Amino acid sequence: MWSVSDDALVAGLAAGDEEAASAFVRRFERRVFGLARTIVPDDRAAEDIAQEAFVRAWRHAPTYDPRRGSVVGWLLTITRNLAIDAVRVRRPVAFDPEALVGLDQSSDERGPHELAQLGEDTDRLRVALATLPEEQRRAIVLAGLLGYTAREVGEMEDIPLGTAKTRIRAALIRLRAALVEEAAE
Amino acid sequence: MSILTCSQVRELAPELALGVLGGAERAEAITHVNECARCQAYVIELTEAADALPLLTAEREPPAGFEDRVLERIRAGRRRARRRWWGSAVAIAAAVAILSVTTVRVLEARQGGVSTPTATSSSAAPVAVAMNGNSGPAGWAYVSNGRAVAVTVDYAVGPGRYDIRLTAPNGTQETLGSMHVSDERGSWTGRSEQTIENGSTIALVDASGHEVCRGTVSA
Repeated sequence: MWSVSDDALVAGLAAGDEEAASAFVRRFERRVFGLARTIVPDDRAAEDIAQEAFVRAWRHAPTYDPRRGSVVGWLLTITRNLAIDAVRVRRPVAFDPEALVGLDQSSDERGPHELAQLGEDTDRLRVALATLPEEQRRAIVLAGLLGYTAREVGEMEDIPLGTAKTRIRAALIRLRAALVEEAAE
Repeated sequence: MSILTCSQVRELAPELALGVLGGAERAEAITHVNECARCQAYVIELTEAADALPLLTAEREPPAGFEDRVLERIRAGRRRARRRWWGSAVAIAAAVAILSVTTVRVLEARQGGVSTPTATSSSAAPVAVAMNGNSGPAGWAYVSNGRAVAVTVDYAVGPGRYDIRLTAPNGTQETLGSMHVSDERGSWTGRSEQTIENGSTIALVDASGHEVCRGTVSA
């Protein structure tokens, strides 16, 4: 079952195949729980979100369209949205954007499973993120990972709304450019 | 029609791609993007980068027993879905039966109580029509006596209000009514002005005119 593609596992999940469902959860549980735990403050809440993400994936598996993105990207988007909803009533957070996205983590510290799953795009994105000016990196992590609006980013960073929007925009355009450039090489 | 220019939408595109654009700006940007292929392509490009961001977070071992708890929730969900399907089917069958009897009684009353064989004879068995979306089953429609229609969806249809559109084999279209879907579930019963023939299609149509699921009548 471990050699089965991600797409095939989703098809099995949609068809009610118990073995496929089990393999699907095993394959992605560390990623899903890791993302949930990054966004919400405790293990209990993170597990609730991670469980719900897999249940949603099961319910929506028949509508998954591989042309619109990878399985892991689809599943993590579900997880991210659930986690952001869960922390919608915001508390001021002190955070280190580099720690949240693993910029302070050397490759040697990642587990073998994580290394196997990290595609080239992900490494390129990490490099691109690391080369952004710090204020842009904070803005894109706050908006892109933690779901803060530009207005909220402005309030947290004590900058005008227009500046927050500019930082978010500049950061995402640079990340996108990095992915496109690398793909073209 | 969009009130934003391409330039304005491109300013908003990163926030739209990241899912943090709210309220009226989001609605106006989406309206423009739906009408403008170039801006749509731009938003899709940015969305690909935005969707990759969560991949950068570290993996973490979930608490012991996590897999078992998830699988039990999925099993429970399957059991509920099966019960819901049967419940919907019974409810719809009952609704169709009521419509059939009502139709015949109305016709009888109009004709002075003299029952005349018509296209809506109560002896006609309901025809079940599987409603399918792009990715699979969405629900069922039932046609009884050629005009009474009941529609139920319980899967893979997003929340919102949908028109129920009947298209005859000759292309004639009729909007039968509208149906609200919440938590993927919704149902509607009513009648068609025209006799529903083999080869007619029944579809749920969203606000933009897009068919989200459809079925073809085949007795």
